[in-house]
Amino acid sequence: MRIFTIIAITFYAAVITILGTVMIIISLNLVSPQMISDVLLYTLEGVNARIIIGLTGGVLILVSISFAQLIFGKFQREKTIAFITPSGEVTIALSAVEDLIRRLVGIIPEIKELRPDVKATKKGIEVEVNIVLRAETNIPELTSRLQDIIKSKIQEVVGTDEDVFIKIHVIKIITIDERDKKRKEPEEKPAIPFGGYGKI
Amino acid sequence: MQPEETRTDLGAIRIHQNVISSIASLATLDIEGVKRVGGPQRTGIMSFLSQKDPLKIKTEFTKKQEVRIEIPIVIAYGYHIPEIAQRVQDNVRHQVERMTDLSIKDITVNVQAIEKG
Repeated sequence: MRIFTIIAITFYAAVITILGTVMIIISLNLVSPQMISDVLLYTLEGVNARIIIGLTGGVLILVSISFAQLIFGKFQREKTIAFITPSGEVTIALSAVEDLIRRLVGIIPEIKELRPDVKATKKGIEVEVNIVLRAETNIPELTSRLQDIIKSKIQEVVGTDEDVFIKIHVIKIITIDERDKKRKEPEEKPAIPFGGYGKI
Repeated sequence: MQPEETRTDLGAIRIHQNVISSIASLATLDIEGVKRVGGPQRTGIMSFLSQKDPLKIKTEFTKKQEVRIEIPIVIAYGYHIPEIAQRVQDNVRHQVERMTDLSIKDITVNVQAIEKG
């Protein structure tokens, strides 16, 4: 861990602790409103005190941003499938595997929409797929086929021998009417006044 | 860690990390199936909060003056990912060693996304 990160975490923890302590003191009524008002007046009167407060605010914002970066960065690093090659390591972002599964919509015409969520666990790769199907689809046959396709595609393209667990959740079935309505909704052209004028 | 310095009769030759990153980038793009170096573009608050330069090639020198390279890539749909990653590693290793005489410790390929070719 970098020194800056350690300093930032310590500083952030200290500030939050001080803030919490102040709130507890206020809640226990150990400080009178007059004392708070005196402190505020003192800090607002002097130019130096105001500069210090402003700078502290700036530092706090910067520390918060680095803290958020650290957390987001850690989350990003964790979301990968990794394997070692003779030249080094190869990591595949889980979002890349999700992209791969999303492309399968084109292969199976019965699927209207496909939303995958891939997780790498100790057991293997867990894939949760939410699908929207067309009405005339045989669901057991299609879901079984989809599971096979996803499994073989992941193992083929990603090249891992890990187990792939696929959960399929049919979230909606689009009826023919609904489909046709969306497809063939006639556009009503606005009538042009005197549009037919001059036609025989 | 500072880049390695080679002494000659006339002075010193230093190769900056960015040079190695550039060579690695070009060598990566030579491989068929690699769409681009980098990752999916982040927008809005995520681009502000996420890691600094997540889309760049990272190069660092170890204490033994070996090079460690981390390459984020986007692969075209339909290609075998391990094969492409292996070819990227081999080509980057070959090109960096050929052009700089530096020794490579390891090359990490991060596949960030898959896009239609």
